[in-house]
Amino acid sequence: MSNSLASAAPHAPTLPARLPLVAAALWLAALLASAAPWLGELSPLALLQAFADFNEDSYASVMAHFSWAPRVAMAVLIGAALGLAGAVTQQILGNPLASPTTLGVAAGSQFGVTVASLFFPGLLAWNADVPAILGGLLAIGMVIALTWRLGFSPVTVILAGLVITFFLGATNMAFLLLKGEWLGNLFIWGAGSLVQNNWQPFQDLWPRVIVLSFLMLLLMRPLQLLQLGETSARSLGAKVAWVRALALFLVVLLSATVVSRVGVIAFVGLAAPVLARLLGARTLGEKLFWSPLLGAGLLLLADTLAHWASTWGDGSLIPTGTTTALIGGPIILLALQSIRNTHHMPGQASNPPGFLPRRRSASVIAGVLLVLLAATVVISMGWSPGLEGWNWTPIPNWDDAWVWRGPRMLAAILAGVALGLAGTLIQRMTGNPMGSPEMLGISGGAALVMVVVVLSGIEAGRTVQIMAATLGAAGALGLLILLARKHRFAGNQLLLGGLALYVFMDAGLRLVMAAGGTQASKLLNWMYGSTWLISETEALSLMAVIFAISAVLAIIVRPLTILPLGDVSASSLGLPVARVRLALLLLAAVLTAAATVVIGPLSFVGLIAPHLARVLGQQTVGRQLIVAGLVGGVLLALADYLSRIVVYPNQLPAGLLAALVGGVYFLWGLSRHGKA
Amino acid sequence: MFTRPAALTLLFFILSALAPTAAAESWQHENGTLTLEDTPKRVVALNWAATEALLLLGVTPVGVADLEGYGHWVQEPALPESGVANVGTRVAPSLEAIAELEPDLIVTSAEMAPAAGLLNRIAPTYVISVYREGKDAFDQARKMLLTLGDILDRQERAEDVMADIEQTLAEQRARLAGADLPRRPVALVNFLDSRHVRIYAPNGLYQTALKALELPNAWPHAGNFWGFSVVGLEALADHPEARLVALSPTPPGLKQTLAESPFWTYLPAVQRDQVYQMDPVWPFGGAYQVKRLAVYLTDALLAGGTDNVQ
Repeated sequence: MSNSLASAAPHAPTLPARLPLVAAALWLAALLASAAPWLGELSPLALLQAFADFNEDSYASVMAHFSWAPRVAMAVLIGAALGLAGAVTQQILGNPLASPTTLGVAAGSQFGVTVASLFFPGLLAWNADVPAILGGLLAIGMVIALTWRLGFSPVTVILAGLVITFFLGATNMAFLLLKGEWLGNLFIWGAGSLVQNNWQPFQDLWPRVIVLSFLMLLLMRPLQLLQLGETSARSLGAKVAWVRALALFLVVLLSATVVSRVGVIAFVGLAAPVLARLLGARTLGEKLFWSPLLGAGLLLLADTLAHWASTWGDGSLIPTGTTTALIGGPIILLALQSIRNTHHMPGQASNPPGFLPRRRSASVIAGVLLVLLAATVVISMGWSPGLEGWNWTPIPNWDDAWVWRGPRMLAAILAGVALGLAGTLIQRMTGNPMGSPEMLGISGGAALVMVVVVLSGIEAGRTVQIMAATLGAAGALGLLILLARKHRFAGNQLLLGGLALYVFMDAGLRLVMAAGGTQASKLLNWMYGSTWLISETEALSLMAVIFAISAVLAIIVRPLTILPLGDVSASSLGLPVARVRLALLLLAAVLTAAATVVIGPLSFVGLIAPHLARVLGQQTVGRQLIVAGLVGGVLLALADYLSRIVVYPNQLPAGLLAALVGGVYFLWGLSRHGKA
Repeated sequence: MFTRPAALTLLFFILSALAPTAAAESWQHENGTLTLEDTPKRVVALNWAATEALLLLGVTPVGVADLEGYGHWVQEPALPESGVANVGTRVAPSLEAIAELEPDLIVTSAEMAPAAGLLNRIAPTYVISVYREGKDAFDQARKMLLTLGDILDRQERAEDVMADIEQTLAEQRARLAGADLPRRPVALVNFLDSRHVRIYAPNGLYQTALKALELPNAWPHAGNFWGFSVVGLEALADHPEARLVALSPTPPGLKQTLAESPFWTYLPAVQRDQVYQMDPVWPFGGAYQVKRLAVYLTDALLAGGTDNVQ
């Protein structure tokens, strides 16, 4: 595969024949598979007619016209819309890992629907689209407002989008955990379902999709200029920021419009453009043409599989979001083979982060962070709500309080330190600002095993939980090493491999969520960090692990300063590149695994902490490591404290609070530096 | 082998292990053995089925999980207006709040297994899961009620409650038999939105109620261990013979959306005016909810069907 791609030179003027072939095969397979179950009852001609009308006397015909045909039509329409939106997003942001979901659309829309379901059920009954679209616009509005002054450099847009995604996603999860019974519809909506019983949604949707797509295509020429690079685009008179903002706005509007009707359909917007590129679409025109076609075929196939799986099993709904994820994962793995350049992807390369904060003394910053940490510890131990209201626990009584407040706080701090370190390692190693332990799939692997445990119905005690997480993290790591060996442990392949693992985990998560019941809440609780389950022994053993690794890290920190310079220069400086990468990867993985057991795979402290360290003015590797570790510790200590007090006696998972707290601070930092 | 005193000591230990001191009593449960010296006075319930069982026995728990949710979804048997503390969500209760109540018994299910060690530090814990893979919910609920009756020294009350439930079920069966209703299987659904329903499967509390009323369940597949499956509305079309019972509350605007959907209006049950509306009841509770299910279901069927949800 990689050989044939390598030989297809980037300058080849003609489109490879396999692109139309694969697209045609995909469509044919999807259509046949979708029609197959009906052919026993209806003739192929009657089935074709089902798109136009129905025969009142035949119930099969009524079903085909009102259930099957609109579902097929919706799958094609939505797949195409998401494929186009994805291709445009990747063009605007120049990052092959970007998709409308990255911009916060899905999280924003879900936020809108959640708020409407809980507080304005009348609005939802009147028009279900409005809350979803408003939510999506809220998300992109926040992203645009935050990055406006930075001229929308792609990196800042992606970062802001990710942070908004986690921020709103965490809020959504908090609602689901606290008000799950009231939000039965949201569990399905979040998993994505194309079930139809009416043509109305399709008829509402297609004119909107056509208009928005047309507007998007009008932006094609300015977008093409963007591809030339920022400087040349500006000199050619294109107002880069405006074009980006407008295109992003349209992408979000289109995605939110389709999402509002069927829920979150994951990964089509990511996989379709990746597949188009993989099959040889090179120019923007080719990508914009083939991505929607492939997206439509992919979604139809995925939805058909979902439908089949539902009818084969006990009849319970298999959400389409699950099957799109199952199909999207392998595509991303395939893409991994084809991306040859190791460090620099278009748009990401020449753009070190869009802002360079003033350097600050490491010892001052570290000192301030330590004071903050100490303050958090004292407040966390002493000042707590009880059943009789808030009270201060005098220090002599801390012995008793320690049992319930201590171990979880200690473990949270340690997990934060571990994630801060791991995040910095991975971002330095990959040179990708989206790089984080979460993205590397190590936590995804841990989560995947947990999802499987829950799906299999095993009642997991504490030991099983910890073993499952460790096993998953180790398995993911092994897989990554296997994948990465071919690529000499280079950055973006690892990120893509990790993303694929995360995608599989996501498929299972959606399945559990759509099934309803308490398994979903249990899983969400664990995913966002159940610090409340930590015992003293666990906290102390975690401490030993983290100390040991930090010591090793201190010894081998030097290569990190050299690696991002590129393989050649690193080798010429006498570095055994592959072996160093393996060592660093192992360390990052063990740190992540240890933290994941405590805080779950979705805290995103590993993503946020290294960036915060940079916002705080730490540029060199050693300083960034130390400060990121401390930032992570403070962040999770604070998150753990908040998680048990904000809705006392209810608890929120600490990782969720970390995403909220870290997100707020990060956004503040971003906007502040924008003004400077 | 042994010196005499040593052998005696050994014997003593074996005996004391086998037969604890006279006052203490032991119960086997899903996560070990519960041994109590005295009858517990301060009980904390960490799920709604346990809360229900305690209330049925006339024991007011000092703390329950998700107090507000219980009042909204389960409703009956009702918790007193005040005097019961909320200890947090059912998935992640606050251990500190539980400890502050100084309970002498905690009732929970195997779902709390990861916290078992920590809970045991607070108070003796009785673990029983009404909903569990491969177990019959009603059997488990009955077992929970009777065992708690034993633990809390209210055996008679427990027997009375079970007898009352059995008698109510028999009464409802007689009511249905007396009425001239079509003998068709029944599908009980909760509408989640206008496209998806939660359908109650032949392995939950609802099935117990159906069995007592001698009605067949239209849905043939086993659900999750809570006794339901989430399905697309089109799954109902595969069972044209079914009467459809919709459990209140339904989402706002649902009635109109369905009325405008030809798929719905062509559904056999809708064509026959066999859509029944049933008063809200919590189908994931304990033994008492079977009684409510049976009464409300009988009421709904006797009230007659229409061509839409209400």
